Amino acid sequence: MDEQPGLSDQYRMASPWPLFVALGLALSEVGIFMGLFPVAVGGLLLLGGSVSGILRESGYVARPWRTFAQLGGFFALLGVIVVGTQVDLVTAIGTDPLALMGTLLGVVERPSNYAVLGRGMAVVVAGLMMLAAGGTGSLMARSTPQP
Amino acid sequence: MAGEQLALTVLMGLLLVLVAAVLTRLEDWRSYTPLAGGAGAAGEVGHAHEEKPGGITRWLTTVDHKDIGMLYGTYAIIAFAVGGIMAFLIRLQLISPDGAIIGNQFYNAILTSHGITMLFLFGTPIIAAFANYFVPLLIGADDMAFPRINAIAFWLLPPGALLIWGGFFTAPLGIGIDAAQTSWTMYTPLSVEQANPGVDLMLLGLHLTGVSATMGAINFIATIFTERGDDVTWANLDIFSWTILTQSALILFAFPLLGSAIVMLLLDRNLATTFYAVEGGGSMLWQHLFWFFGHPEVYILVLPPMGIVSLVIPKFSGRKLFGFKFIVYSTLAIGVLSFGVWAHHMFTTGMDPRLRASFMAVSIAIAIPSAVKTFNWITTMWNGRLRLTTPMLFCIGFVSNFIIGGVTGVFLASVPIDQILHDTYYVVGHFHYIVMGAIGFAAFAGLYYWFPIFTGKMYQRTLAKWHFWLSMIGTNLTFFAMLALGYLGMPRRYATYAFDGAIAPLAQITLYHQLASVGAVILLVGQLIFVWNFVNSWLEGPATASADPWNLKETDQFTKEFDWYERKLETAIADGGDDDDTLVADGGESVDE
Repeated sequence: MDEQPGLSDQYRMASPWPLFVALGLALSEVGIFMGLFPVAVGGLLLLGGSVSGILRESGYVARPWRTFAQLGGFFALLGVIVVGTQVDLVTAIGTDPLALMGTLLGVVERPSNYAVLGRGMAVVVAGLMMLAAGGTGSLMARSTPQP
Repeated sequence: MAGEQLALTVLMGLLLVLVAAVLTRLEDWRSYTPLAGGAGAAGEVGHAHEEKPGGITRWLTTVDHKDIGMLYGTYAIIAFAVGGIMAFLIRLQLISPDGAIIGNQFYNAILTSHGITMLFLFGTPIIAAFANYFVPLLIGADDMAFPRINAIAFWLLPPGALLIWGGFFTAPLGIGIDAAQTSWTMYTPLSVEQANPGVDLMLLGLHLTGVSATMGAINFIATIFTERGDDVTWANLDIFSWTILTQSALILFAFPLLGSAIVMLLLDRNLATTFYAVEGGGSMLWQHLFWFFGHPEVYILVLPPMGIVSLVIPKFSGRKLFGFKFIVYSTLAIGVLSFGVWAHHMFTTGMDPRLRASFMAVSIAIAIPSAVKTFNWITTMWNGRLRLTTPMLFCIGFVSNFIIGGVTGVFLASVPIDQILHDTYYVVGHFHYIVMGAIGFAAFAGLYYWFPIFTGKMYQRTLAKWHFWLSMIGTNLTFFAMLALGYLGMPRRYATYAFDGAIAPLAQITLYHQLASVGAVILLVGQLIFVWNFVNSWLEGPATASADPWNLKETDQFTKEFDWYERKLETAIADGGDDDDTLVADGGESVDE
């Protein structure tokens, strides 16, 4: 690792992450409250990514991908709770899960037509993306030897 | 709609790719070693010779408390300029009864934004600037307890400011997002019913600045409790750190409440909840929540400036602070009492008279610790060997303006008087004596007092005195005229005042408005001199030769932050730094007076 140190290895008083944590938080707030689906998803991805990064950098966690996936799981759960306030998920899954899928995909397609549901789905989508990316990253990191 | 959605998606995707690209350029995260392994310390990597990276990267990635203090300071001064220009436009508008230069809607927008800018984007950050730079130095800490959280707290502010001012940028585009016109108090139902999305942007910006302040406060509390040097005890903790500690505690209780109230307002506006609707909590709920935050906010803004004044006055009086302990006690007392007075902002809302009386009693009780401080400052100066340097002048100006602002506040705390003067310019005059005449002045005192430390230069003394006297005269002219306007019955917030002569004496009111505007011109000239002096002295002034520009050693008041500065100067000379320009300040004159 001495060959190519990162910024925060070279300089004790520097870290690239705080700026992006702040930007991620700002974008996700604006995206969720203003009902801007892509901004909400992107903001949450940035927030989750930079939080994982800063925790890894400061040594609080050992594996950033796993943290990323865990944060994704948390967001997805939170989003499902919000969606659950609008759609009776238990009944819908029990009776016609395909129709439920259709409804939810419709929400993702035109989120601005749905107030609470659109916002909830944004959080769910961001969470699932993080789960997928974090999971894949973890597996890949496990298969490559650590430097 | 779908097109917009697609465009936004592409934009966000590009942004994320850009961020990832920047991060991979900056950071090689494969190089991280968990700290527990013991190999993560910078010294062992073998590349940590320099303290900080160069260029803009240094400022974007710094977690050093001094750099973050500088960032806060720069940010606050830019916000002060923006808020000041808004105030100047307000004063120009009110030169004539029909409004001189701008439309009523724009007036409402800058009135709203002036208040929020000055309180949240100038006031809190300028205090954070001093606290970040100097609290760790004063208590002998290496840095803040959580340096990265410190940086996050700062970086939340620029997006916050962009959102708060966002409506001004988007209004000319004609996309239906205008600047908010809610006034800084954002009273419901007005703020719920204004459909303009600019209000949402402002609320979100305000929420971010609140999150930032809370993170900062937690950091200061942790730092002062856990990072003090071995020789710094609670008994000899300096007065500025005491006020920052108290302020941080107030922030910890007040700001999360503002954040929650704002989220509820956003939900009412966007998702049809009914927190503040008549069938829900009613509009009084907002007023209670807002002022439960809003009144402690006053002390959040004024306690640290009082700390600066308590720190600076003894230095130029040649003696110790009179009644140090009692100043600390009064700080704590104000901190506690500040949560029991919020309803004095609501005396005319028709609340229960018995409650009103109790809030009046507590509000007037706050005058006691405030007076303890005032008398202690005066007694410190009494028979002292006064040196009227610019920081000292600003401190004396603080005391003088604080007395006027404070005494008018005692009157307003009294229910029968408040019922007459509520919502008039008397209130505006009263709180501007505090926020500009006291808080602003203490900020200037701090900037001048520590100027040699954070710039390594000395400011130009004559210009600084011009700045003080123009500020002092301008402040008193502008805000005293407002007190008079209040007695004449002029209501606050109005864009025009062409009343029927039977309601109010229009000629006199116009005259006082014009006097206030003349004061604003004087203030503006003073601040232009300040900016010129600040920038010019920083860039082109001669380096200070001595680590004791104020002759503090003479009276045994050479405190820790100057100690640190002295060590820094010595190290710079030892390793052949470029400090060969050893002229003293003001072109060869001695800097002490």
